[in-house]
Amino acid sequence: MNKREIRIVTMIVRELTLFFMMHGHKSVRMETFHEENATVFSVTVKQLDAQLIDKIRKKIDRDRDMEIETYGWELVGDIDSKSELEILGHLIDEMHVKSDAGKTHLTFVRKNRYKERKTPRF
Amino acid sequence: MPINLPEFLKRRMLMPVIFIILFSMSFVTGSLSDLFSGYVEILRSPSVLISDYLRIGGFSATMFNVSTILLINILMLSRLKMKMSGPMFAGIFTIAGFSFFGKNIFNTIPIYIGIYLYARMQKLEFRSFMIVVLFSTGISPIVSFLIFGGPWPLYVGIPLGTLVGILTGFVLPALAAHTTRFHKGYNLYNIGFAMGILSMFYSAILTAFRIDFMVGGPTSEAFHSELQLLTLLMSLTFIAAAFIIDGRVLKNYLPLTRSTGRLVSDFIRDYGRAPTMLNVGIMGLMSLLVLFILNIEINGPVMGGILTVMGFGAFGKHPKNAAPVMLGALVGALLSPAYSLDEVGMAIAILFVTAVSPIAGRYGFFVGVFAGFLHIIITPLTYLFQGGFDLYNNGFAAGFVAALMIPFLEALKKDEIEEA
Repeated sequence: MNKREIRIVTMIVRELTLFFMMHGHKSVRMETFHEENATVFSVTVKQLDAQLIDKIRKKIDRDRDMEIETYGWELVGDIDSKSELEILGHLIDEMHVKSDAGKTHLTFVRKNRYKERKTPRF
Repeated sequence: MPINLPEFLKRRMLMPVIFIILFSMSFVTGSLSDLFSGYVEILRSPSVLISDYLRIGGFSATMFNVSTILLINILMLSRLKMKMSGPMFAGIFTIAGFSFFGKNIFNTIPIYIGIYLYARMQKLEFRSFMIVVLFSTGISPIVSFLIFGGPWPLYVGIPLGTLVGILTGFVLPALAAHTTRFHKGYNLYNIGFAMGILSMFYSAILTAFRIDFMVGGPTSEAFHSELQLLTLLMSLTFIAAAFIIDGRVLKNYLPLTRSTGRLVSDFIRDYGRAPTMLNVGIMGLMSLLVLFILNIEINGPVMGGILTVMGFGAFGKHPKNAAPVMLGALVGALLSPAYSLDEVGMAIAILFVTAVSPIAGRYGFFVGVFAGFLHIIITPLTYLFQGGFDLYNNGFAAGFVAALMIPFLEALKKDEIEEA
């Protein structure tokens, strides 16, 4: 993972944390897994109502947009209101939701679309 | 094979239709020899703010310049298999608009090459930088000036201008991504702000070497009626197309007008093509109405403003967030004894003030009016500061307005946070 990708990943973590805390969640558990082909963000919060899940899905579960990513990624993690997640939607490929035992588990997948720079050999 | 009219209108958001209208106008409004000689004058112009191509090259040559630049960029998007998103639409319209006063085929290519080289260095696809590519040419006058405006011969000017253009394109993508944080996405002409910083340095270097670069000239209002008719025709075409595509477009249009418009708002993606086309048409009519009420005649720069406002009808602007900032700008222009709407810079700022529309979209009518007021009084100063190589001077000004207001407004704004 290059430095730019690390920065994008940390900004996504920040944006998701900000979003759930702005919606009043006091406990937000988040893990990130960097795999060869994708970075996976796993978020666990208190059970979300169906309306909020729909809202998140509407904003995030859409096609990834590389042009907006290269232009607007520095705005990620800087949401001003409870309803803003649009830019994040341009950076995430997939979203999955599962609910059990009073908790909601959300999984966001960001596929690796950048070519890794190979370390030069001397 | 029968033509599916709604599908034809939706595809590429009427861009081919707009191209055909503009291209035809370049041939029916003057002789071929006038067109050719005027076009050569446009290509040879230093193009620094404010260089009205209607005055420099005449109507037919300007329309030829606008339509060919439009065609090249439409073909580039097609070749790269880009979908017509809100930012792409805004970029194409902005390019067309500024081809009335500063952009031509000669001064835009080196900047594109610079961005291409940056993409290669970053090992990213060139198409990923297409938003920056489309808006990057706002700084193209630096290329023209160094080639045709400097006190050196062409054999020095051509390599110098080309090299500086390539370097400019090379640094712009990183700078443009970074400047979004300065104004937190509340300046829709973000790349104009990034280019203002570069322009400031270019003008500082030229000033240090005593090179005069304030070479802009008067504008031409001789083609006011033609341009008014053209804007009306384009606006009504967009509105008609929106209703043909979706008979219930009005119902779907209302949610669009509730958007703050903050970067990066892609109206085509978020609300669909028909509501966006309706918005584009309405923004065009709104621009015409404002100019009519204020008795401002359309010249090259004003036409650039109209097309930019229409283009951003797909990328953050709508009547609800644009009207307050336009009103604020008008109040500022009328109250100030130092400025007048007779000055072309002030006249175009009434349209370009809509760069700060997201401030009204997020914080409401009165804050929007104040943002517009601040914008119009800072615009003449930013022009002096950046020297005129950044055609998007209003984007440079809007960045400062947003950077001043947003931290304070955020501190005041209370978002209700309910315990989950």
